[in-house]
Amino acid sequence: MSQLGQVLEQYGRWAARWPTIAALVPFLPIVALWWGVAAAEVFPRAFFPGPLEVVNGFAVLTYKGILPAYLEDSIGRLALGAACGIAIGVPLGLLVGLNRAAHTALWPLVLFFQAIGDIAWLPLLLIWFGFGLTTMTFVIVYTVIFPVVFNTALGVRSIAPELVRAALSLGASRIAVLREVILPGALPNIMTGLRNGLGYGWRALIAAEIIVGTSGIGFMMFDARRAGSAVEIVIGMIVLGLLWYVVDAWILAPIERATGQRWGLIARS
Amino acid sequence: MSDHVEPIAFIAGPKRVWLYVRQAAAFIAPLVLLLLAWPAIVTIFDVSPRVFPGVQAVLGAAADGLRDGTLLAHVATSLGRVALGTVLAVAAAVPLGVAMGVNSGVSALLTPLFRFFSVLAGIAWIPIATLWFGYGFGAITFVIFNAVFFIVAYNTLLGVSAIPPRLRHAAASLGAGRVAMLTEVLLPGALPNIVTGVRTGLGFAWRGLIAAEMIATDVGLGYMLFVARDFYRTEVIVLGMIIIGIIWLFIDRLLLAPLERATIERWGLVQRT
Amino acid sequence: MKGLTLRNLHKTYFDLNMGSRVTAVQDVSLHIREGEFVAVVGPSGCGKSTILNMVAGFLPATKGEVLVGDRPVKGPGPDRGVVFQNFALFPWKTVIDNVGFGLKMRGIPKPERDRIAREFLALAGLTNAADRYPNELSGGMQQRVGVVRALANEPDVLLMDEPFASVDAQTRMTLQEELTRIWQERRHTVLFITHDVGEAVFLADRVIVLSKGQVLREIDIPISRPRAWDTVSEQDDFKRLSSEVLQMVRSA
Ligand SMILES: Nc1ncnc2c1ncn2[C@@H]1O[C@H](COP(=O)(O)OP(=O)(O)OP(=O)(O)O)[C@@H](O)[C@H]1O
Ligand SMILES: [Mg+2]
Repeated sequence: MSQLGQVLEQYGRWAARWPTIAALVPFLPIVALWWGVAAAEVFPRAFFPGPLEVVNGFAVLTYKGILPAYLEDSIGRLALGAACGIAIGVPLGLLVGLNRAAHTALWPLVLFFQAIGDIAWLPLLLIWFGFGLTTMTFVIVYTVIFPVVFNTALGVRSIAPELVRAALSLGASRIAVLREVILPGALPNIMTGLRNGLGYGWRALIAAEIIVGTSGIGFMMFDARRAGSAVEIVIGMIVLGLLWYVVDAWILAPIERATGQRWGLIARS
Repeated sequence: MSDHVEPIAFIAGPKRVWLYVRQAAAFIAPLVLLLLAWPAIVTIFDVSPRVFPGVQAVLGAAADGLRDGTLLAHVATSLGRVALGTVLAVAAAVPLGVAMGVNSGVSALLTPLFRFFSVLAGIAWIPIATLWFGYGFGAITFVIFNAVFFIVAYNTLLGVSAIPPRLRHAAASLGAGRVAMLTEVLLPGALPNIVTGVRTGLGFAWRGLIAAEMIATDVGLGYMLFVARDFYRTEVIVLGMIIIGIIWLFIDRLLLAPLERATIERWGLVQRT
Repeated sequence: MKGLTLRNLHKTYFDLNMGSRVTAVQDVSLHIREGEFVAVVGPSGCGKSTILNMVAGFLPATKGEVLVGDRPVKGPGPDRGVVFQNFALFPWKTVIDNVGFGLKMRGIPKPERDRIAREFLALAGLTNAADRYPNELSGGMQQRVGVVRALANEPDVLLMDEPFASVDAQTRMTLQEELTRIWQERRHTVLFITHDVGEAVFLADRVIVLSKGQVLREIDIPISRPRAWDTVSEQDDFKRLSSEVLQMVRSA
């Protein structure tokens, strides 16, 4: 027992040195286990496909161009929604963070509408806009906005008042204070908000695609569900997981770190 | 979050009550205004009830639902599902997370897995869950369980491994055994992370629940909304949205957020992630 | 360069928690001549920061006015450079961009303001730190940047609120000597807030002792310049004036 513990501790030290490889190692036994369980046919094959079938299905779907096309649709929708969400969320967050009256008036509304949640809007949106891009964009924008607003406001409020005073006494105008102090000061928080928002946003997208979709990864998964084919579902899950992992770990987190840490503002993970 | 509250604890007596009342009033005022603006807008712009309902229609739907008991059934079912899935998930995830977080090797092995699966939390499980368990109770509980389990386990693990080793050494040198170490150091140390995990996980679970109920059952708030859509009954939809909003506001703002603030601020030793 | 005048300055705060008024500054009048270095000392809570914040334009005065030259102060402005106790450097700007900030606000193009900023950085021995972020500097270096940033904007008046209170004792003495050296070269009008009596006497031409929001006394400091700690601290004048001021502050 204690020997195993020591081996594991050793692995822990090794993993700390090679974080990228160490992030992949644990998936090897999982895939092996998956393979074994599938091969032993513990569950019916149709419900529980093996890794080979999934890889094969992946190749076929890619070759036919279905997967790339759906992926493009999903990512396009997410990007559009995120862009609109930022365009509305950041100014709104600045307003709420900077202005007391705006805070008093808007904060409860922001909390309430956030609590309703994106997915509960779907039925009403379907009545309003039908099955289409407008509905999906609305849902994603709705999801992305709130974390961006919260965190932008939080970021604005966490800026030391001295910094604003310093800028003013160096001759900065109000606009210059916004551009040179408020925005960069709130940037790490805005990034955090964007990260959270996208995390909720792509889940909302999946739900929307499942419920109202005519294309996209979520649609592919639920279409496969209707046909009772587990392979495409598993492919969808893996693609989604990888996609988010890549976006989050390779794009969003590094940006967040690069801003916040070099400036020494906050150490977030 | 930044809904900053004055340090009321330092103020005594009637003044304190008065401050609470003022804060509550300030919070409710904009919502009341919205409630008043709603019928005005619906009348002025002559909005069709198929697009957006009037207040009376929504109240009527609420009265109908209460009278025949369906509304209560939907709400109770949804809450029951969330409660069951969450309790099961937390009960499984916390011990696992603590046990795993103690050894840096196990932590290094499990962190990527839990991260991957917490990325999938909630909605992405709906298709496979309904394939495995069929439409109904099992699939929905499974979705909620998944949403909460991986995120809480991941956060617990983070929390435990973020406890400075010197704290563990200090406790050990003060004579703490395995059990005492667990109850006196590891659990309290990881608690802020655990609470954060529960809050995030529940957020995904609640959304996942609504989505799953739209697809996979014949009772629950999500189902209530989705069926109403087929008949263009916007008053039922809006009623459902308001109920969903209020329930989540209570769970998140009055339960989880204060709990999270309390643990994080009181102990202040674990970085929020 | 211009002089600074405080005319019957009053400040009353309204304390929300206690629901009562607090008079922090009461009828303070003061004239600082062009190129004069004035230090204000007093016990904690006597209203030093409040005065400085009103002069800087961060706080409105309840009564009275502040004049730079003969122009009344309406709000913060580049005619009054401020050095803060906690440095208040912009964490997202490199040292050189921090120093060039005021110039940027005046619309001076980048190459020109970099040239000026480098000159000022050299003045404080910070040439090598130009491209670093504030976070990557020691406290002493950060405050040098803070001082230089205010100077580079060529203000008429320099306002400093306990600028050296958060650095260690060794660094503080070095910074004080550097400040006297720079001041002697450029002769700014300076209002310097501190609760360190030795610091006040070492730096200033005149020391104002403040008590409960009022001027208790003014003392001229006729110690010859240039001043350096190892010579000044030995002088009888310095010792006598320091203990005199200390007496007053303690009785305040
Ligand atoms: N915003 C405020 N609201 C209410 N009272 C205040 C406020 N700011 C300062 N005061 C009070 O005014 C008085 C003077 O404060 P000030 O900060 O000017 O003191 P100070 O001389 O700078 O003290 P220190 O040496 O501790 O910095 C104190 O009694 C303080 O409690
Ligand atoms: Mg002060």
